[in-house]
Amino acid sequence: MEETKPYPPKFFLRFFRGYCHPRLADDIEGDLIEVYRKRALKNGKRKADIRFAIDVLLLIRPNIIKPVNGYQNINTYGMYKSYFTIAWRTFLRSKGYSLINISGLAIGLSACLLIALYVHHELSYDRFNEKANRIYRVDSELKFGDNHMNLALTNPLFGETAKADFPQIEQTTRLQWYGSFLVKKGDVNVREGNVARADSTLFDVFSLPMIHGNPKTALTEPNSIVITESVAKKYFDNTDVVGQTLTINNTENRKITGVIRDIPSNSHFRFTSFVPMIENEYANEVIWAGSQNWATYLLLKPGADAEGLDPELNKMFDRHLGPEMKSVINKTLDEFKSQGDYFKVSLTKLTDIHLRSNKIGELYGGGNLQYIYIFSVIALFILIIAVINFMNLATARSAGRAREVGVRKVMGSLRGSLIQQFLTESFLTCLIAMLLSIAITFSILPLFNELTGKIFDVSILLSTPVMILLVSLTIGVGLLAGSYPAFYLSAFQPVSVLKGSKTGNVKKSFFRNTLVVFQFSASVLLISGTLIVFMQMQYIREKDLGYNREQMLILNNIDQLGQRIEPIKNSLSQISGVENLTVTGFLPVNYNRNNNTYFPTPSLDIKGTISMQQWTIDENYIATIGMKLIEGRNYIKGKTDSTSIILNESAAKFLGGEDILEKKLYRLIDEETHTITEYRIVGIVKDFNFSSLREPVKPLAFLYGSDNGGITLKINTADIPSLLSTIETQWKSLAPDLPFEYSFMDTDFDNAYKGERQTGKLVTIFATLSIFISCLGLFGLATYVAEQRTKEVGIRKVLGASVTGITTLLSKDFVKLVLLAIAVATPLAYYFIHQWLQGFAYRIELSWWVFILSGAIALTIALLTVSFQAIKAAMMNPVKSLRSE
Amino acid sequence: MKKYQLGEFEEIVLLTIAILYKDAYGVAIKEEIEARLARDVSMGALHAAFVRLENKGYIKSRLGEGTEDRAGRPRRYFQMTALGKKALEYSRQTREELWKAIPKISLDLKIIVS
Repeated sequence: MEETKPYPPKFFLRFFRGYCHPRLADDIEGDLIEVYRKRALKNGKRKADIRFAIDVLLLIRPNIIKPVNGYQNINTYGMYKSYFTIAWRTFLRSKGYSLINISGLAIGLSACLLIALYVHHELSYDRFNEKANRIYRVDSELKFGDNHMNLALTNPLFGETAKADFPQIEQTTRLQWYGSFLVKKGDVNVREGNVARADSTLFDVFSLPMIHGNPKTALTEPNSIVITESVAKKYFDNTDVVGQTLTINNTENRKITGVIRDIPSNSHFRFTSFVPMIENEYANEVIWAGSQNWATYLLLKPGADAEGLDPELNKMFDRHLGPEMKSVINKTLDEFKSQGDYFKVSLTKLTDIHLRSNKIGELYGGGNLQYIYIFSVIALFILIIAVINFMNLATARSAGRAREVGVRKVMGSLRGSLIQQFLTESFLTCLIAMLLSIAITFSILPLFNELTGKIFDVSILLSTPVMILLVSLTIGVGLLAGSYPAFYLSAFQPVSVLKGSKTGNVKKSFFRNTLVVFQFSASVLLISGTLIVFMQMQYIREKDLGYNREQMLILNNIDQLGQRIEPIKNSLSQISGVENLTVTGFLPVNYNRNNNTYFPTPSLDIKGTISMQQWTIDENYIATIGMKLIEGRNYIKGKTDSTSIILNESAAKFLGGEDILEKKLYRLIDEETHTITEYRIVGIVKDFNFSSLREPVKPLAFLYGSDNGGITLKINTADIPSLLSTIETQWKSLAPDLPFEYSFMDTDFDNAYKGERQTGKLVTIFATLSIFISCLGLFGLATYVAEQRTKEVGIRKVLGASVTGITTLLSKDFVKLVLLAIAVATPLAYYFIHQWLQGFAYRIELSWWVFILSGAIALTIALLTVSFQAIKAAMMNPVKSLRSE
Repeated sequence: MKKYQLGEFEEIVLLTIAILYKDAYGVAIKEEIEARLARDVSMGALHAAFVRLENKGYIKSRLGEGTEDRAGRPRRYFQMTALGKKALEYSRQTREELWKAIPKISLDLKIIVS
């Protein structure tokens, strides 16, 4: 009979059975079939089929479909649900502990996340270049006599020659600082820094995508310029500006031949404009020994062996160096080498430049690998401290949970499911902490950016790698923090637990104490580290640098003044408040630098040669900058002092020290004509610091002459703003076309140590965080111990114990632990801090009191934390604590 | 007075169940509503309404016999509970109160406007 009646499509019927709630399925199916048959009779089978399908689809409703879990017991959904319920109830029951756990973990995770962002950014330098693993920079190393130099630079022809000689070199390109120039925008001139000279092959080697213009020809013609997007927008409000001109330094016109995307912040050079290298007449000079001024990059062919290329390049270098050396210093290369001197080249991987290379002539200051390690260790410490909190609190509370475990086991719970339950609790804690940490990181990211000088966008928090990191951290921390309590608690024997013999849980406190000791050791380590970093920074700031940097005003754009320099100089020196002024671009804070080699004999013997800075100054320099002349005399105006030389102490020491005045030094002016100039030493100035305080003061020589790189004013006024406006008025009247730009020497100095200061601040912040998290844990433990001993305290009070006595009793154990931690941490801290300080030529003495102080700080903080709880317990009315039972 | 939650469609279904009395099962209710109100009733909406009404306690159900028409599947008959009746009455009463509360003028006004 049934076959004669039409039957609805099997697929949809089965689909319906699949999702429908089993209680309703039979009856609704009946309805469906009944309606279907009626329709089939009336409208035909096809239409009824379609309507049936629609009906089935429309039946997918919350009330009708199967519940996701809990209906059938063939799976363990119900159990998981129960784990979550229990975990949630545990949270709510002990809000204090959960809060400590979650906030500790959340702060720890956020700190980790921030540090990970920072470290990742530092490690990502130059990796945006598609050919990054094939790009190498040619560095040179020179040792002659007692001079030793590591240069990030090489001579002008090295790259081209190497490319012609070795087939495995695909391309080569050079970069060189141009400095800054003025760009006309409307009526005013704007200073544009970060300008480089570059070979036309720049875009073959580096991935600097060009939006407009042809990368092949952009840097081939003189007077062309390639600018970045943001520069284009600054002057034209538009990026499609190829063919337009920029007026440079008021006089020259440069045609824009290309607009590139802004160079990423994680590039070892961050130039904003490029001009063609061919404009530099020295760029194609055949000179191998004398002029190391070019950052040269080689792009190797895929699969080429860089290590194998290294000796080949040196052979090539020697071939060209030999004849030149013979003609200049009249010595063969072999003779040069036989004295233990050398001049060699080496390749540095592009991706190693930022963190691992810190040579003379780096285009931009690099990062510091040491800090990467320091920060990674701090991140790890913070995370471990937070995890330890979790473990400690969980085990400490095990006495209370032990009964629960006992009852559960009696009711038939398996160990496995108990483990799962505890793990669920820790995972849930971690999950909440993770969500919280995303929120925290989100809100403090702008602050972090300001602190590190990096630009992390908020969107980075939602990027895949960060998400993967967060999820894996959560799982890792959840497992790590949850496993100990899970395995420890679930192993309890129900009989002994329920009898109450396990509630003391004295044995396991050893483990807990070890963890507390570890936590505080980490904290003490970080505290003493922070103290030392702070003191070292303070020392650098306040160190006598051998010159005066207070109230020193430096004016820019002097090189553009031309003939107007004299009138400006004269009018500025008339202003009251200006004590003294000097015209030169050579200053102790980062301005012009010029290295030269001086020989002790006219025959240019290498023995006793000195390589030193050569600064051109005027007669006012020493007085204006506040240097001390310790021997001899200053330059005298009007007297022919052009071959008089003033040395610094280091140079004098290098040259033998005693009776150095009136001695002669020789310098090679022109290699081709072999012109040599003789200099007479007339004075010695006290050493002053002109490069990083990480290095000792190097030899330096002053020459008398004019250099229009800048004007430095020694001012003496209480009202700097009004003095500035007076100077500006003078400037505007004499040089209305040039912007009035100035800086103060002390700010420039501070900027030079910005990196160090930023690091110092970061270390301080993270150290404070780690101590805070440790204290959170300690607070939790103290609370727990106080609770545990409520009765004991009550009885003691009844028997006449004093509040002080009880406080001491409760704090004693923790103090012992912290003291132990100090003992463990101090030698470690000494070792690491000693290592760090070795990096500075000028450093503070490591004194014992720093360690005592950091120990005392840790102890005080711990005591404050613990005693809060201890005093609370001691003050409690014994009637209350003893009333129950 | 206690509130009774009753949606518009739920009210219609509940009323129809009351009308059909002993014969109130899925298809019959569907056809009855379609016939009386000249509107299409989807199976999904109807059965969802049944579940909701049953959860609220306004109707109860029992499984009936299977018939050949339904390929042997049982019919589920629905019956209104006392609570369901109260809900209906409450609903009706509130409507009437609202109707009464309309001022004459607003009804008249409508005529003038149209």
